[in-house]
Amino acid sequence: MSMHNRIAVLRAEKKLSRATLASSVGVNPQTIGFLERGDYTPSLELAFKIAEHFGLPVEAVFSPRPFRTLSEQVYKLHKREA
Amino acid sequence: MPLNMNNVNVNEVNKERNWFWRKIGFWFVPVRAETLGPEEWAKVRKMSRTGKRRTRRLLFALLWVPVLACEIAVSLRVVRLDPWAGLMSTAWLTVLLGLWVRSLRIGFAQVSLEDRAVMEYGAEFDALKEKQRGEVFQRAVRDGLFGRVKVDEHEVERRLQAQAAAYRLLGPALVVFITGYWGVCLFGPFEATRSALAVTAVVVTWLAALVLAAPTMIRMWTQPDEPGETAAVAE
Repeated sequence: MSMHNRIAVLRAEKKLSRATLASSVGVNPQTIGFLERGDYTPSLELAFKIAEHFGLPVEAVFSPRPFRTLSEQVYKLHKREA
Repeated sequence: MPLNMNNVNVNEVNKERNWFWRKIGFWFVPVRAETLGPEEWAKVRKMSRTGKRRTRRLLFALLWVPVLACEIAVSLRVVRLDPWAGLMSTAWLTVLLGLWVRSLRIGFAQVSLEDRAVMEYGAEFDALKEKQRGEVFQRAVRDGLFGRVKVDEHEVERRLQAQAAAYRLLGPALVVFITGYWGVCLFGPFEATRSALAVTAVVVTWLAALVLAAPTMIRMWTQPDEPGETAAVAE
């Protein structure tokens, strides 16, 4: 089963380079690239490390189903609040 | 006057160099990397990305077949002349081939120059000073030569996948090889040496059986006890 993730979006949001994120979670920068492209499913340990780095729960960064876009989610939230 | 590499005008330095240095020489003199010009840096960066492209890697993988064929041909020719020379040439060529495979394996785990720049200096490669670019390049070359690469979980998994795929190919290949070997031993025109050849066929067959059974045997040895349901609940 392929795993979906939001690493690229979160990285862009925090203005983090692949190399910086890779250094802080202890992998090679190319591994972050493979993760973002969906070519590699991380170990539980790495998934938790990445989620911890962004200060988010693991299910906010990784999911077995495709994520809805952030804009769609924000719009839905606003609609619910209104 | 001593040359300050931080402020050196590389374009001026490069203009003074001859054609040989600009096109070929700089590859062999990494200690002068801090004075490379934009043209040379572009070549170095392009070269460092060679192993990162799948099409190039496929070419290397295809090149492996003729290289191996050449090695076998050379070894067979030499061993007919003198068995000891044959042993030496086979050992030497195998070491060379091993080093080549090692360098390819290191290449997979190596970090690109651009990522190194960010990791080591916190800046894009283009934004570094000439001296810093030279240092990044030299460290990359040194780490590549000495095999100082980080083997992370992704790299380990790819290696295991490759080994598993190789083993899956090895099984049928060995069966075909051994069947052919027995066929040649039993039906080939070697009346005088048939019994000696049959002995080698037996040895090769048992060696193959040993190799193919090895993963299961290793698992038998290393797999821990399976906990029963009661034990799991009790713990």
